[in-house]
Amino acid sequence: MTDTRDTPPMKQTQGNPPQPDAAGTPPDRDTVRQETILRIKQLRSKSNRGLWALALFIAVSIVALGDFSILPSLPPAVRMTLGKPPSSIMISGALVLYTFSAIILILSRMMGGKEEYSGFAHVGYLTAFYGFYHFAKALNENYWAVFVAGLTILALESYHIWNFCNEAIRREQEVLDTIERFRKS
Amino acid sequence: MLKSFAAKATVPPAIAVTGFVVVCCILLYSVIKTDMLNDAIEHETNLAGTIVKSARFAMLKDDRETLRNIIDNIGQQKGVEHTRIFNKKGVIMFSAHAEDVNKLVDKNAAGCIACHAGPVPLTSMGRMEQARRFINEKGHNVIAITVPIYNEPDCFNAACHVHSPTQKLLGTLDIGLSEAPLQKTLGTLRGRMIVFCLMVLILTVGGVSALLLRNVLLPIKELANYVTAINRGELNRKAPAYRDEIGELARSFEDMSARLKATQAEVKQQKAAEGDGADSRS
Repeated sequence: MTDTRDTPPMKQTQGNPPQPDAAGTPPDRDTVRQETILRIKQLRSKSNRGLWALALFIAVSIVALGDFSILPSLPPAVRMTLGKPPSSIMISGALVLYTFSAIILILSRMMGGKEEYSGFAHVGYLTAFYGFYHFAKALNENYWAVFVAGLTILALESYHIWNFCNEAIRREQEVLDTIERFRKS
Repeated sequence: MLKSFAAKATVPPAIAVTGFVVVCCILLYSVIKTDMLNDAIEHETNLAGTIVKSARFAMLKDDRETLRNIIDNIGQQKGVEHTRIFNKKGVIMFSAHAEDVNKLVDKNAAGCIACHAGPVPLTSMGRMEQARRFINEKGHNVIAITVPIYNEPDCFNAACHVHSPTQKLLGTLDIGLSEAPLQKTLGTLRGRMIVFCLMVLILTVGGVSALLLRNVLLPIKELANYVTAINRGELNRKAPAYRDEIGELARSFEDMSARLKATQAEVKQQKAAEGDGADSRS
């Protein structure tokens, strides 16, 4: 939140000219205000995207916990087309590489202050890992590894997008405060 | 709390390190468990082969008493849950548990279905396919191996036997060993891995947090206190002395405070001079 005490409105009464670039010309002020409020709303809803992705992943994990028994099994012809599943060691190696690279990418996005969010794509990749382990008949042994990897990646993604949106909301709030200051003066 | 500088600096690395170490430990445990299980199955298959070879002479001589004794003695060994030989029809001929003798084995049971799934039963299978894991009626976890006893030339040429040369399989040896020693080893391994994980996490997360606190957060707090004091008008206060970027910032604030103090003194002096001038004019 900005501190409105920094620039007291008294300055206006001392004969300083209005600053149109800070708050826009008077007719534009309401438009800018409306746009800013809209952007704040959008950012607030965007900051919850991480939680939605986490909820979706937990739902997929609950289905995977029972080895996908609530879903119909694949017909033998489709299984034949898919071919032999990879070994569980190969899938585990891929999971370690995926987790490592995903964490590095999210941390680098945090460092660069980029808005990019790929939580829902990660839910897809993690579901694919559940699927691979299921077909390799090794899901019981490796379920918790995929689950913890998913929680880690999605928690980082959620924290990143939440933090980014909060920063952006703070900046937008500053614009609103400036408009309010000019309106009062 | 999550919006504070300390949280922003420590939460992402803490989540990343914790998650990655836990994922690696779970996968490592899973791989080690699979390797140990495969080793146990291989060891049990070798044991079953040794039993078949040891019993071969008694079978050739049709010495059922000796064969019964061999099976009984093996069954008394610690960790052996069951040992039995059943014929091609599935009737148990010899068993370490006397009550099982002459009972019919269910061909659809685990361990049998692998060969008896099709219309013509298989006569050979891979080492891993011979193994099955289940919980027996005593509630013990068991790894069992079924080893086929083939009709060899010595068998169908012996005077005492009635097997035809076309018969490929005479019977099957089924031996089950308790998984308890394996589970105990895995439990110890699990405990050690959890301790190792916790130590790594405490060292990395705790180390990063402690260094961050000592080198960044405390100096920033001191600097913030110093700036607040200047803001209150305490211009004689000394800036916190650091040799890093925070130290540079503190020195800049100190310079600014000194200039402010000088300007204030100058203004005061000017006002006093103006006051004296007005007094002398009046």
